[in-house]
Amino acid sequence: MNGITEALERWLRAGGREIGEVHIQSVDSGWELRHRLDEPRANLIAHTGAEAARVLAQYTDAGEFRPLKTAPNLRRGWLLTIPDLGELRRALDYFYPAMLGVGVSYTLGTLVPVALRTTLARQTGMYRVTQKITDTQAQQMVGDFCRSDGGCLKHILWPLAPGEPISTLPAEKFSPEAAPATWPLLCHEACNLLVAKAREVVKKADLPS
Amino acid sequence: MLPKPKPHSALIIAGHGSTVNPDSSAPTFDHAAEIARRGIFGEVYCAFWKEEPSLRQVLHMVEADEIYVVPNFISEGYFTRTVIPRELELTGPVTHRDGRTIKYCEPVGNHPRMTELLLHRAAVIAPGIPPRETSLFIVGHGTDLNDNSAVAAKREVERIAARGLYGEVLNAYMEEEPLISKWAESAKHPNVVVVPFFISDGLHSYEDIPVLLGIAEESPGAASATAKNVFTRNPYHLRGRSLYYASAIGTEPMFADVILEQVAAFDAVEPASVFA
Repeated sequence: MNGITEALERWLRAGGREIGEVHIQSVDSGWELRHRLDEPRANLIAHTGAEAARVLAQYTDAGEFRPLKTAPNLRRGWLLTIPDLGELRRALDYFYPAMLGVGVSYTLGTLVPVALRTTLARQTGMYRVTQKITDTQAQQMVGDFCRSDGGCLKHILWPLAPGEPISTLPAEKFSPEAAPATWPLLCHEACNLLVAKAREVVKKADLPS
Repeated sequence: MLPKPKPHSALIIAGHGSTVNPDSSAPTFDHAAEIARRGIFGEVYCAFWKEEPSLRQVLHMVEADEIYVVPNFISEGYFTRTVIPRELELTGPVTHRDGRTIKYCEPVGNHPRMTELLLHRAAVIAPGIPPRETSLFIVGHGTDLNDNSAVAAKREVERIAARGLYGEVLNAYMEEEPLISKWAESAKHPNVVVVPFFISDGLHSYEDIPVLLGIAEESPGAASATAKNVFTRNPYHLRGRSLYYASAIGTEPMFADVILEQVAAFDAVEPASVFA
């Protein structure tokens, strides 16, 4: 038992208010969630219950599918009312899948970062080719794909290989510490989107020029 | 047979997911929400190969020490035998790790109740149409990429045919013989019901199969949002038949029951694992 809901409750009680682009406010009827940049706006479209979070997290303002939920493109203009803590946890799991649990595992010391080379070495089938990516290509790819402005809001805990850190992103991208009152978004292992990107990089480099 | 309540256990439904098609993971999320609503498990989560939560993240979400994993796949194959066990670091049907027990169940599509679901879906989309005067097609993908899905589709056709309800029950595939594009030549009956044997809707069910059936035009770009209407315009009158076209079988709400039945089936086969 690692007490994720209890950890969430403690964090809220201690003044926790933001996770990714979602702002959480305690109200009489439970909690109100909205895009953090929407805080001052009054003309927000009201939604209720955790299941609405799944829909809100699914598309950008332009109507594009968001396969990576920690991409900094959460839609604006909504206000989600959540009645209780259990529903709040479910809603946050829709907005930022696994980020509550991963954050708790980090605190407990049970989150094991996996180097990008280890992740790629494990791949089979169409992704086996990603093992051919060079260090330079991998550094460039991560620097572009994972950057916080336009890529992904998670903080990276993994190196390229043991003893070989990622050098193409600013130091704060690798800090597990979040800003005050903010739940950290932690990346302990490259996602499938990055693995798929590595395949693209290798395939492109293999094309005859 | 549904499993007994397991308030101290977690269920993970493992799906493929997609980086381009939100409808790929939608049924998995729907079935998870339905199972969570019933309160049989203490915790219910989804995990995906190509979406979040990923198979590498999901175990961090779980608080229970006993975890059932049911692959939401139409058949055994590369994903159920290689990818899911590898990503979850499973050592067999039962994995003991870090004080937890992970029980890896059969994929949903393997369960005998799939036959009932296909019959149910076929009856619902063609209400009042006598099955004896109907040709029922079960459409699979039909390439090596999809592993045993073609075998699974064929097995279901044999099971449905054995019940003797339909005038005829036929296999068809998108990319290999017997081709679904030749439906009108192979169907003997005035009514034709077509059920795609897929885990979720997507380009295949929205557009590829409808184009092969002759009930839709190929769209110039990606399948449009209006493509879902293809399921709502039954019956189609063409080639001298009345044709009824269903959405992917994996969108059937009764799938939630089959996921639970795979858990019960696991418990029936591996009772000793409780004490292992």
